[in-house]
Amino acid sequence: MSVLTLRLDGPLQAWGASARFARRTTESAPTKSGIIGMLAAARGMDRGDDTELARLAALRFAVRIDQPGARVRDYQTARHQITKVSMPVSERYYLADAVFVAAVEGEDELVDLLDAALRAPIHAPFLGRRSCPPARPVRLGVHHETDLPQALRDEPWQAAPWYRKKHDRQPTVPLTVLREARLGENGADFLRDQPLSYAAEHRRHALRPVVTETVEVPHPDVQAAAMTTMRVPEHDPLAALEESN
Amino acid sequence: MYLSRFRFNTARPGARRLLSSPQSLHAAVMSSFPHLLPTGSGSGAADGARVLWRLDRNAAAEVLLYVVSPDRPDMTHLVEQAGWPAAATTEAPGWQSRPYIPFLDRLTEGSVWAFRLTANPVHQIRRKEGEPTKRTAHLTPIHQMDWLLNPQRQERGGFLICEKPADKRLLPSGTTHHNRPHHGDRYELMVRDQRNLSFPKQGPDNTSKRHQVTLVTVTYDGLLTVTDADRLRATLTQGLGKAKAYGCGLMTLVPLPAKAG
Repeated sequence: MSVLTLRLDGPLQAWGASARFARRTTESAPTKSGIIGMLAAARGMDRGDDTELARLAALRFAVRIDQPGARVRDYQTARHQITKVSMPVSERYYLADAVFVAAVEGEDELVDLLDAALRAPIHAPFLGRRSCPPARPVRLGVHHETDLPQALRDEPWQAAPWYRKKHDRQPTVPLTVLREARLGENGADFLRDQPLSYAAEHRRHALRPVVTETVEVPHPDVQAAAMTTMRVPEHDPLAALEESN
Repeated sequence: MYLSRFRFNTARPGARRLLSSPQSLHAAVMSSFPHLLPTGSGSGAADGARVLWRLDRNAAAEVLLYVVSPDRPDMTHLVEQAGWPAAATTEAPGWQSRPYIPFLDRLTEGSVWAFRLTANPVHQIRRKEGEPTKRTAHLTPIHQMDWLLNPQRQERGGFLICEKPADKRLLPSGTTHHNRPHHGDRYELMVRDQRNLSFPKQGPDNTSKRHQVTLVTVTYDGLLTVTDADRLRATLTQGLGKAKAYGCGLMTLVPLPAKAG
């Protein structure tokens, strides 16, 4: 099994799982349908290609909340540029200043294929909504012969410097991980974001069990500081001298 | 010659008062020698040996005073003001003093030691033509290293700072990107604990206006090879560089750890 990790970092993100009609809410972390859709788009898959989507949707998914961000509400009164027709007045919610690390786990060939697709995407990736471009490359890395929790433990903390500074005392930081439950695992929440079809006429999603965990990730700045602040070397000149008296 | 060590009890106001001003600490160190009279030659015996001292601030509560002196010191007053007087016994009076001569006699040319030195690295500059030169502190670690690495200074001191083996260097040949020699990574030497001291100094009659002394001190740690044992003995007992009254110039040596890692 291999794991592909993605960095989702941008000024605005929007990850709707239950958003319908004029009130477009966002979850507090990326949804599986959003990430699978991004990967499918990077490969240039058709919206109606449900058999190919089933392969991608079988990937196991987890997301680590590196920087939770803040929810912002946009009261949107858009009008068409040319026809001047008013769009329905809608409320759109975004996550501002959030950073996530998402990971998908699957067979080696499929993960390598998706990694290659992200290097040269056919449709550019975006963070949940077309108007939310990523601030940095989304592709983070491929971890071979590992599993989701381990890959998310290995991946360095991706939060912004100003956010890292708020945690500048501890050598490790606890980060929340929302992981897809294993078969038969108990104590799971459910989220309707397991993609079945992205076809324009009928988008369908199934319920997906989600387990919340915490991983400890090293704080890069504390480690760097420990490397650069010179420790005081041992020095006991009296030990070299014989006792008097 | 004697090498002595005293540990400050940093929780005591007396310790803080002494540690806050090298001027007071110098006075306290000099008061450890009953045979030294203020009307005497000032800083020590006639043969050029003098009292040198240094503060090793290894941790917030581990502040050690090292003193190298011609006479055996009596630091009872330091223990009473800034030490642990109740813990003092006749065997362990609160400070340790050991004869330094046997150790100095063991120094042989070619031997390698780890050293620590707190010094006041300065140079003389003039800012424009015709101006008298002015003693000015080195403020960057590179210049401060340069001060100690100065070939004349090393020769006069009787030592040579060891170079790092090639596999411990971060830069391949110790050169800058302009291919100029650069000692940043070349020598077994580190500069740390720069202190920009500023404290008032009393005039000679104790009442005249106090003027401010400003001083930059740094601590060097590294490895050295003895090139001239006699000169190194003189360096260890008479000090290196300026501001010896203010805790600078005392170099101490320790044997290398069993296997330098």
